[in-house]
Amino acid sequence: MIYFDNGATTFPKPASVVRAVNSVMQNTGANPGRSGHRMSLQAAQIMYDCRKNAARLFGLGEPENIIFTQNCTAALNTVIKGVLKRGDHAVISSLEHNAVVRPLEHMKRYGVTYSVADYVEGDDDATLNNFRKAIQANTKLVVCTGASNVFGMRLPVERLAAMCRIYHILFCVDAAQTAGVVPVNMQDSGIDFLCTAGHKGLYGPMGTGILAVNSDIHPDSLMQGGTGSMSMSLQQPETLPDKYESGTPNLPGIAGLNEGIRFVLARGEQKLLNDEIRKAQRLFDGLSHLPGVILYTERPAINTHTPVISFNIQNHDSEEVAALLGDRFNIAVRAGLHCAPLAHRFYHTEDSGTVRAVMSAFTKPVQIEYFISSVNKIIKLLPKKVAIEDKNVLK
Amino acid sequence: MKNIITFASVTNAMKARELLRRHNIPSRMIRTPAKLRKGSCGYSLAVGRDFEKATQLIVNHNIPYKGIYADDAR
Repeated sequence: MIYFDNGATTFPKPASVVRAVNSVMQNTGANPGRSGHRMSLQAAQIMYDCRKNAARLFGLGEPENIIFTQNCTAALNTVIKGVLKRGDHAVISSLEHNAVVRPLEHMKRYGVTYSVADYVEGDDDATLNNFRKAIQANTKLVVCTGASNVFGMRLPVERLAAMCRIYHILFCVDAAQTAGVVPVNMQDSGIDFLCTAGHKGLYGPMGTGILAVNSDIHPDSLMQGGTGSMSMSLQQPETLPDKYESGTPNLPGIAGLNEGIRFVLARGEQKLLNDEIRKAQRLFDGLSHLPGVILYTERPAINTHTPVISFNIQNHDSEEVAALLGDRFNIAVRAGLHCAPLAHRFYHTEDSGTVRAVMSAFTKPVQIEYFISSVNKIIKLLPKKVAIEDKNVLK
Repeated sequence: MKNIITFASVTNAMKARELLRRHNIPSRMIRTPAKLRKGSCGYSLAVGRDFEKATQLIVNHNIPYKGIYADDAR
């Protein structure tokens, strides 16, 4: 397939990632950090190397501040549920994914409240002001996405981090869409927690995620169990990363993730971003000339967007368009609501959803031209429907 | 028995080993001997020469350790 579903999972992966996963399965597949034999020590070394590379990528000094999780959602749950207690309040943006919204909704049962600060397109000052206005005396945590997973607009995370420092509020970034794409330095910018998936912009396998900690305040652990350390103690160790890594980790996944991060470090995040935004701009420009295509955001730009294009064809459901792209043209995209109801409300696309195409390092210019010409052919294929709203009136 | 430094986590043990390697002090990851295992993780660093320098480096770099056991002390 011609793959544009990189916002969900990047594909293909660098060959080095595939080799690393394979090598663990064939050669070093022992339990890391549990035994003294050579294979176990090699396994622990792979985990350590990945922590070091991730710490470098996110501007963290210490490898133990990189915690491996199952995915970004698990990392976000750890922060949200581990930090917030009865009576606490959190602030989120109006572009959040359900990975942020649902844990907070769940925490309402335990006396936690939250407010939504409206994102203002093209005006970071206004966005920041909305966050400031949402802060209360009992606000303990601000959680926000680095960029909308549906539309690709970025939030001013460095400025939000600085604001949170002033108000002594913890700041957590959901970097699922930005890690490996948008450069970040947690120490310089004062981001307390960064949560991300391993299988998107970091080019690792699915089932990997990272919680990066840059704070002396450590959330409670969601799970407790064997860590290979302090085994005589019945209490969960407080040491990082052991506090959050109970049970046998996903070593093949982490070995692949390590190579994915090395791939990003070698190419350079800024260069990857520049290249992918250029590709997104070409797609945006090509689609903007087609009759009946609705584009929602401003033209993507290096300083304000991730390489995401969300669009619709007038009067047609996004799933219908995505199915045609897949069936007739062998193009993989995501359609529907993208697990982000708040962001869809922002552009009034709750009913139609959107068709989403996301660039990766492996997206070729010729594939973008093919995408544009395929959408053009679909427009001609589709019956001229009356507007969905009009149809409702006729009923 | 060698000079041994015990740690609370394998990550700290690996971090210390890397630090010593950067300063050309050879060390080896071992399972912590039974009588030193009080409250530590299962891993320790066994250090041959430059043991005092090794311990100073680990302390100065704030790498959390559990215990330092010099060969002649046991």
